[in-house]
Amino acid sequence: MIDIKNVSKWYGNFKVLTDCTTNVAKGEVVVVCGPSGSGKSTLIKCVNALEPIQQGQIIVDGTTVSDPKTNLPKLRARVGMVFQHFELFPHMSITQNLAIGQIKVLGRSKDEAIERGIKLLDRVGLKAHANKFPGELSGGQQQRVAIARALSMDPICMLFDEPTSALDPEMINEVLDVMVELAQEGMTMMVVTHEMGFARKVAHRVVFMDAGQIVEDAKKDDFFGKPRSERAQQFLSKILSH
Amino acid sequence: MLSNFDFSVIPVSLPFIWEGLLYSFKLTITAMCGGIILGTLLALARLSGGPVLSRFAAAYVDTLRSIPLLMVILWFFFLIPLVTGKPMGAENSALITFTLFEAAFYSEIMRAGIQSIPKGQVNAGYAVGMTYWQTMGNVVLPQAFRNMLPVLLTQTIILFQDTSLVYAIGAKDLLKAAENTGKNYNRPVEMYVFSALIYFIICFSLSMLVKRLQKRIAIIR
Repeated sequence: MIDIKNVSKWYGNFKVLTDCTTNVAKGEVVVVCGPSGSGKSTLIKCVNALEPIQQGQIIVDGTTVSDPKTNLPKLRARVGMVFQHFELFPHMSITQNLAIGQIKVLGRSKDEAIERGIKLLDRVGLKAHANKFPGELSGGQQQRVAIARALSMDPICMLFDEPTSALDPEMINEVLDVMVELAQEGMTMMVVTHEMGFARKVAHRVVFMDAGQIVEDAKKDDFFGKPRSERAQQFLSKILSH
Repeated sequence: MLSNFDFSVIPVSLPFIWEGLLYSFKLTITAMCGGIILGTLLALARLSGGPVLSRFAAAYVDTLRSIPLLMVILWFFFLIPLVTGKPMGAENSALITFTLFEAAFYSEIMRAGIQSIPKGQVNAGYAVGMTYWQTMGNVVLPQAFRNMLPVLLTQTIILFQDTSLVYAIGAKDLLKAAENTGKNYNRPVEMYVFSALIYFIICFSLSMLVKRLQKRIAIIR
């Protein structure tokens, strides 16, 4: 579904990604972890071309992302994305947030879009807030709306860019619960996160990045059992020790 | 000295003043709408156009912002007949000049407004599959416009005051109407005072309105 082949990326002279290769198969959940500044957020943003790459290839469902001929809006419409800072549209109500993409991009009728939006809102447990504005919701609630917004486009896969990093601790679980449910339903997911509990529960594979490189790409049990690289061992011992 | 004033000219002048005021309003509203639309396009060209387009927009904005409005009004009024071969009339000339000139100022305001919207919002628009124009039209510009509304209105108040400069090319605005009636009835001072009062009342009430608006916007955020 998502094929990342020998991807390198520079910001000016600074190389942020070095020869990254990994993939996400259909129905697979891949967790990308690593220390801050390791390039994991940059890598996931390259998947739907929010960030351009200078070398290598990313292929999503048979479409080469970095090909200049690729219709990016069309591709992105099929790839759901959830951001660290939610990025709901603050000037629109929750319902409008859920409907806008369906109406403008998929060409659905207003009624159809709202109906589908409300259904998804119900699914993330926020139906009662349909007419509120993003600013009136808590961070956890906003992030659940953001997930519903991504799902409203009927995506073929979902990208999560540190979806819980900006949340207060007591709100993390309500977001993770939605994600776990999604994973268990078989959604193809690429998730950048520090939530190792989540990774243990639903991930099929774990990709560990450091300094712009993919250091380890292993099955979940192998990764948590005994990571091969020393760097990953250090990382794990630090974040799992308490 | 003051006893020499004769304000009985004012009721007589009202129909002329009204006509002049209507033109001043027409000029202000045309230049505001046209200026904001053109200014927004210039801001977009400057921020996300290619190298040619953004340089053109920057040159346009910087040039017009560096020339006194009065000179632009005069130049445009005298140049257009030379280029097209026929005069277009002071009123129409002023409408075009003001729209083109104010666009430069509105453009800078909109540019600041667009830049005040976090990159994440743009990414969110793209991520649901919106094109550049859809993202601008549905996500960025509505927020930028709302954030900048008080500044845009303040610029419009200045614009309304600046419309009085068209009297230099003989367009019949509020000031010109006051001047003409003042001359006709030999009461120029009274008419200048009266027109100043009208400018003041309109601009002052609008400023108050902007202040209240600013508070409301602060609450919404």
